[in-house]
Amino acid sequence: MGGLNDIIKKQQESLNKPQENKIEEEEQLVGFIVGEEEFAVPILSIQEIIKPIEWTRVPFVPDYVLGVFNLRGNVLPLIDLRKKFNAPSAEIDENTRFIVMKIKGEDVAFVIDRLTSAIRIPKKNILPPPETYSNEDDIIAGVGRLNDGRIITILKVDNLIKREEIIPERD
Amino acid sequence: MDDLQELLEDFLVEAFEMIEEMDQDLVELENNPDDLELLNKIFRVAHTIKGSGSFLNFDKLTHLTHHMEAVLDKARKGELKITPEIMDVILESVDAMKAILEYIRDNGDDSSPDIDIEPIVKKLDAIVNGNFSSSSQEENAGGINLDEITPDNLDELDLSDLSPEELDKVLDKLVEDMNTSPEEEIVEEVVEEESKEKEKKEEKETLPAKEPSKELTKEEQKKDLQKKIVSTKEQTIRVDVKRLDQLMNLIGELVLAKNRLIKIYNDVEERYEGEKFLEELNQVVSSISIVTTDLQIAVMKTRMLPIGKVFNKFPRLVRDLARELGKKVRLIIEGEDTELDKSIIEEIGDPLVHMIRNAIDHGIEPPEERRKLGKPEEGTIWLRAYNEGNMIVIEIKDDGRGMDPEVLKRKAIEKGIITPQEAENMSDKEAFMLIFKPGFSTASKITNVSGRGVGMDVVKTNIEKLNGIIEVDSVLGKGTTFKLKIPLTLAIIQALLVASQEDLFAVPLSNVIETVRIVEEDIYTIEGRSVLKLRDEVLPLVNMADIFNIEKILMPEKYLYVVILGLGATKIGLIVDRFIGQEEIVIKSLGEFLKGLPGIAGATIRGDGRVTLIVDVASLMKLAKDTHNKKLVTDSLKEAKKKKEKPEDYNVMIVDDSAMDRKIMREALKELGVNIIEAKDGLEALNMLKQNDIDAMLIDIEMPRMDGYTLAQEIRKYNKYRKLPLIAVTSRATKADRVRGVEVGMDEYITKPYTKEYLQNVIRRNLKL
Repeated sequence: MGGLNDIIKKQQESLNKPQENKIEEEEQLVGFIVGEEEFAVPILSIQEIIKPIEWTRVPFVPDYVLGVFNLRGNVLPLIDLRKKFNAPSAEIDENTRFIVMKIKGEDVAFVIDRLTSAIRIPKKNILPPPETYSNEDDIIAGVGRLNDGRIITILKVDNLIKREEIIPERD
Repeated sequence: MDDLQELLEDFLVEAFEMIEEMDQDLVELENNPDDLELLNKIFRVAHTIKGSGSFLNFDKLTHLTHHMEAVLDKARKGELKITPEIMDVILESVDAMKAILEYIRDNGDDSSPDIDIEPIVKKLDAIVNGNFSSSSQEENAGGINLDEITPDNLDELDLSDLSPEELDKVLDKLVEDMNTSPEEEIVEEVVEEESKEKEKKEEKETLPAKEPSKELTKEEQKKDLQKKIVSTKEQTIRVDVKRLDQLMNLIGELVLAKNRLIKIYNDVEERYEGEKFLEELNQVVSSISIVTTDLQIAVMKTRMLPIGKVFNKFPRLVRDLARELGKKVRLIIEGEDTELDKSIIEEIGDPLVHMIRNAIDHGIEPPEERRKLGKPEEGTIWLRAYNEGNMIVIEIKDDGRGMDPEVLKRKAIEKGIITPQEAENMSDKEAFMLIFKPGFSTASKITNVSGRGVGMDVVKTNIEKLNGIIEVDSVLGKGTTFKLKIPLTLAIIQALLVASQEDLFAVPLSNVIETVRIVEEDIYTIEGRSVLKLRDEVLPLVNMADIFNIEKILMPEKYLYVVILGLGATKIGLIVDRFIGQEEIVIKSLGEFLKGLPGIAGATIRGDGRVTLIVDVASLMKLAKDTHNKKLVTDSLKEAKKKKEKPEDYNVMIVDDSAMDRKIMREALKELGVNIIEAKDGLEALNMLKQNDIDAMLIDIEMPRMDGYTLAQEIRKYNKYRKLPLIAVTSRATKADRVRGVEVGMDEYITKPYTKEYLQNVIRRNLKL
């Protein structure tokens, strides 16, 4: 019996170790373009990525909340990241995607111009957001420098939308 | 006897439920002593138990709750701060209330000889009078008084609260007491107690306990009753309402899928007309749709209770009240079998009690007065329930003195509820509605009969909570009729789909009183506000697009479409741009980030997979009131009317893949002086159309990516472009082609080759140049 336990233990160790190391060393991100800039979010925060579908406008919300749409029977809010980041608005084209992310337990979709790639980046290459960035709402987690020289802005998914910014306070 | 028993059972179930909640609320109150809402809630529980208790003649219970209520009333008015000491007393009185109720459950009356409420009442009085000190606590407060325990009243003791030592003491005492009776019985009794005790823990529900009573007949009666209860129990299953809710949710999904399936079938039917498989598909779709509907009704029915459950309380209430007020009143009940959702039944009781009290108190005249008026001495109140579509209607009618609209108006002006000008423009029906305004109620006497200033506005609030509508009709000297219209359920609803500009909204049908088509001339402006005169009523009129700040892109047409919305006692007219139709919809939440948007109750997914917002009628009414004060409908209608006069105000789009053909058209149009926009195929045209303000389109049929037919079809999907002139310009000249053109929504069909003048004429005609 002892032998079996040992084997299981070893197996588990070998399963855990490399993963732990990776988490320590690098971040797995998905990169995408909004406006002129390349952004990235942790791959695990993404639920799915879909092609644009029709949405319904919703009254009394900031302009970056485009509305709601139906994803397999669930009603999801749709956020335009261009508007959110004050970039000039653009038409939806064949590269446009909706990225569905889980924020505080709720699925929310974001419109992005196009996907770039899945990115593995060593943690040491991620720097805190520079002072020059306007980061009032604490949206930016850091800035990453990729091997090919690209600079990406890594977003704090949880801060991308806040209820108090969306729903007007009324009594 | 049976009726009374049923009534009693209902009272007990309700009372225990309320007390359980009250316990939690009280504890919470101790943490937030200033929470007025919580205080009000607790107060209402005491009030309700007092009220129900008093008409079931439970004097002891009424006595206790009356004093409790006095303390709570003071607290909710801010005259008393709830200290932990005071809370102790309140909790103690709640315990006593529980004990009395348990005694009632087991014995059918509240004599409960061993529960002494006087010390508690004294303490409560002391609190009210402001001379309460915490030192007056008695030794047995909250604990258990051994002297009070006898084998006869064991049942109302909550043994589960006792510590093992206490339990031992109780048992010792019991054995001692029982020594006077034969020994076997003691053992039996104690054993029975213990097993009962276990039962209690296991299922939290006890059958009426067997009582070792001296009167054999009484015991037999009780056994019969017990048997009856047991036998009915075998036929029914108690199901947690949560499970039913879950089932309802699943059926909601099924209804959505069904709607979708029907939509798809209709599309397929168009495309494959005459094909054999359609017949089969049709059968499947209809059978699924029928089964879904039946299933939905069946599950809804599991949640339904006959309204008789509420109505049965009233004969006694009416009799007692009439006697108290020295009036003669006959109550006629009809339609007590009409069924309603459980949650609605629970909410409807209180408002009805209020309205019936009102009818007796204010409606029915004293016998002498009636005699003088030539009416029968005995007044009549009709309480009637019936189904009307998806609504249930509850009618409360009396043949009393009726209401005088002028008197009501005068009173409302006196109280500052309305201005004299407003009163002048008020119809009789609107005047009757004044009684629902907060602060209108006059009866402020504190008696067992009338509440403590709990007026008709509470009735209104309760009915509004259920998305219901109240209608009042009254003839002076003849009587008053109240009609409550309440939707049958709250999860899956019938809705009227309307379009405001291009946005669709679902309006709960239960709040749609009617839909009307008006012309601009029907709109009047009174005191700077737009109103609609509809028969004998004057309704506030608001454009839905103004409420939701929807950009106006549609030119108003000759007719305006108005939804008359009703909620509680309020009615408004809502201008929309189009009625889409009636549909069964399932209410879905908008999620954590968007829920609670003003005017929006949620969303639903339609058959085509799109999301449509559901209007929250109560909230919309509030928004509409703001908008109504701010904006005239006539101004709002003008916003979309941007005048186009000269040819250069017009934009015409040419869609053709051939540069040559585009040039020919361009040359011809240049002479007209209109602006020209060109697109090379259908897709490009569709994009350009959305970005530009286009007044007419010339469309080639054969084009890459998207042909002219498809383009026209796509364009016509938008409400905004319903009237946009689409002119096909093509060399396909067969009759079939033309028919196809008409089918997809082309307005004109020009075949190549054509003369310049002909094209110019067509454009001029379509632009009305």
